Amino acid sequence: MHKSKRFIALSGLMLAALAMGAGLPGMLPAPATYAQQIKVQDPTSVVMIVNRDSNDISFMDIKTKKIIGRTFLGNNVNPHMVMMSPDGRYVVTGGTRANKAYIIDSRTLDLVKIIPTDIAPEHLAFSPDSRWYYQGNPDGDSISVIDMQSLTKIKTIPGFAEPLNITFTADGSKAYVGNYGAHWVGVIDVRRHELLKKIQVADVPGVAKLDPDRYLGEIKGINMAVPTVDGRFLYAADSDLNAVGVIDTRTDKVVKVIRVGKDPWRIYMSHDGKYGITLNNGDETISIIDLAKNEVAATLEAGPDMTGANFAAGKAFVISSSSGFVYVYNLGSLRPSGRIKLGTNVSLETATTDTADQKIYLAESTTNEVVIIDARTEAVERVGNVGLFPWGTHIMDSKDNYCH
Amino acid sequence: MVNVSRWKLNLWICCLSAALLMLTVPLQSRAQDTAAGATLTQSQLAARIKELEQQLAKLAAAPAAATTAQQARPAAPQPQQQPPMQMPMPAATQGPLNPENTPPDSTDPQALLDRIKALEQRIKDLESSAVLSEPETRVKKVEVYVDKDGNLSDTPVEGAKKTTTFQRERVYRRQTINEKIEEALSSAAEHNVQVGVDAGIAFQYAKRTKGTAIVPDNRTYELASADLFFTAGVAQHTLFFADIVGLSGPPPDREIPTLSLINGYSARLVNQNELNLREAWLRTELFSQKLAITAGRLDLTNYFDHNIAANDETTQFLSDALVNNPALGLTENGAGAAIVFDPKNGFNFKIGLQQSNSAATSLSDSVYSLAEIGYFLRPPGLQEGNYRVWYRADNAGGAGYQTAYGVSIDQRLRPQMVFFGRYGASKAAVKRDHHYSGGFQFDHGLGFFPGDAWGVGYAQNDFQIGDKERLIEGYYRFGLTERLNLSFHVQHFWELSGGAPQQGYLVPGVRLQASF
Repeated sequence: MHKSKRFIALSGLMLAALAMGAGLPGMLPAPATYAQQIKVQDPTSVVMIVNRDSNDISFMDIKTKKIIGRTFLGNNVNPHMVMMSPDGRYVVTGGTRANKAYIIDSRTLDLVKIIPTDIAPEHLAFSPDSRWYYQGNPDGDSISVIDMQSLTKIKTIPGFAEPLNITFTADGSKAYVGNYGAHWVGVIDVRRHELLKKIQVADVPGVAKLDPDRYLGEIKGINMAVPTVDGRFLYAADSDLNAVGVIDTRTDKVVKVIRVGKDPWRIYMSHDGKYGITLNNGDETISIIDLAKNEVAATLEAGPDMTGANFAAGKAFVISSSSGFVYVYNLGSLRPSGRIKLGTNVSLETATTDTADQKIYLAESTTNEVVIIDARTEAVERVGNVGLFPWGTHIMDSKDNYCH
Repeated sequence: MVNVSRWKLNLWICCLSAALLMLTVPLQSRAQDTAAGATLTQSQLAARIKELEQQLAKLAAAPAAATTAQQARPAAPQPQQQPPMQMPMPAATQGPLNPENTPPDSTDPQALLDRIKALEQRIKDLESSAVLSEPETRVKKVEVYVDKDGNLSDTPVEGAKKTTTFQRERVYRRQTINEKIEEALSSAAEHNVQVGVDAGIAFQYAKRTKGTAIVPDNRTYELASADLFFTAGVAQHTLFFADIVGLSGPPPDREIPTLSLINGYSARLVNQNELNLREAWLRTELFSQKLAITAGRLDLTNYFDHNIAANDETTQFLSDALVNNPALGLTENGAGAAIVFDPKNGFNFKIGLQQSNSAATSLSDSVYSLAEIGYFLRPPGLQEGNYRVWYRADNAGGAGYQTAYGVSIDQRLRPQMVFFGRYGASKAAVKRDHHYSGGFQFDHGLGFFPGDAWGVGYAQNDFQIGDKERLIEGYYRFGLTERLNLSFHVQHFWELSGGAPQQGYLVPGVRLQASF
């Protein structure tokens, strides 16, 4: 018995020695080996595509339009939104059905860490210094705070009501959380990772007493508080109240309430900082808000089930998910300028815009494609087999990174 | 004791060796595979097992509660109370927390990894049964290649012809039961006939302010109307629609001889307390849905002479002269067709024709035709505006084609204020009759409640035979709920008919409107 144990021990030592000789560089990658593993040299050169049914993130090279890598996350993960950290080091996503956050090395595309979150993580945001990754958990009514230095969850901030999107201030001191299950925006003190206060964006009208089902049956509150280009104000659309509350980030007070169309999904900011557009799914219109005057400059006809708006080449492109159309608006004249038919019986999801404001990369979940729209010519190109059920796209430093 | 120490040493060496070996596995595969646990230390493995057992216990709690008492294992320790794995434990028996019957004090790394795998699988199975995890089945259009013998290939083959077919695709997406129910309801609604109701009741009181006593004075009226809508999608971009209307009650228009209708609902009235088929048509959209063709029994005023502030007697002005242009001269619905070309770039073009006299024996004797060009304009300093010009011809009178033309404008001046205006001229026995109207609508929060709207309007009808009418109306509409509106109206009519003394009527009223 002793001899056999010694043999096992010696074998183990030999194997260990072998492993140290050949394997240690894999454990702590030496520069050369790490360089060999790198699949993405420049994080800004890829479009990230989050695929809900194939449970992976695919990476498409912007120049070649080829899928250069995929990171499988696990079975039944159901990733929802993908985002790259501002420093370009990591790509993260929340696995809605797995209740976990997934952290991917943005160069090697290796999955480096899986971190348990609260229930059903969906939308997320990074602090400007890339230190904190806030993961919203709509079903858990909480925000998971993940430290990107130690890659650990350091806190779960409770007290929200279906938190959807999170917005950090430019200095990273505060984060604003849109609560779809309420009519207020939560303000987080990022130094302490605590919910500081709640800002109600508009009053529930008095006639609500006559229509309790309208407000009690199902609540559709605030998707996101969207910052202006200079970060001074936040615009939070409330779907039930058909209004946009303008919040001064210095005082955290609502300075104006703007009435828009019915059931506004959220507001999207034009890149020049002049306009914000709400997608009013209740009456199939868009409201274009003049940000200087804080009033509606135009209400224009649009389509059903709008999921997002992108800005490029002086136009706004509004995605109408179930109709298969992208509606186009001229931002100079604030007039409609046609619509682009992308298919019949297809489901358009969300899109991102390249940093040059020239092309739009739109996820189309029915045919598992990313549709590339040239903003100037409105020509369409398709990249197939990007993954199963592509739900959204993301480009580092794009001004149109969002999810639905 | 010495033997025990050597045992532990040997085992630690083995574990270390295995761990180092596993470290050589690329990072990605480690992360993807559950075997990533092999890189962990023994205590971490134990902790992982404990974590999995806790998850398992939570998941098993619900089904366990539903199972019978004899299936429950009262002696089974709670996972939170389990001692560390290295500690001696009672001999494990197979159960929901240890399905593979692994000895709990096992320190063999492989056994621990196997146990982790088994527990993860168990969790997966439990989650699958607790959360709806049926495969999502989708039917997709695919392009395939078929040769003359019917052999099918996914890729081009010599002698095979490219063709389109449909094929089922399955994906394993976990969905909540709510999502699945919503999908089913939505799908059912799409494929079934949808029914809508628009009901309105208007109470009006008329007081004569000018004129002789031979016309009624101080009278009260009520008209109730109910429209039943049926809508069904019958093919791709093709819709069937029918509207059945019933009206009841005496409207003021039966007694007060105004040139235009005091209550716009009266325009629908054929016979009281009877159901009438107002509309029944099919609409299809072609050429990337830019062209819409509607054919059947129509009301062409639903397609022409639109106005966002003065075009709906159910929610806006009650006076018929502020609902449609009198110059349209269309008094009843009939069989016809309307074609609308709308590329969604600001321009739109419409043409339509309709039977305008139900007593006519052929369409040739009663053709009413309309054409309209609409343009979306945003004048400098103003907001969006819609400008429409139309022309119509009608041979229903039996005196050749009677023509008319008109314009309809709505221009939003401010976010809460819309100006509207109409002008129309229709051919008369001598020259033309002229019709003017205009006014303002205020909405978007410029009222007591966010859903309220109010408006003031003026209309003037000048007929070449000498009859003239001037009317003003103001209304305030409370948006009580999304489906219920309460409006208060005040109308005043001045009538000058063929040299007779001028008649004046003040008509206050209340309208309750519900649509769902």
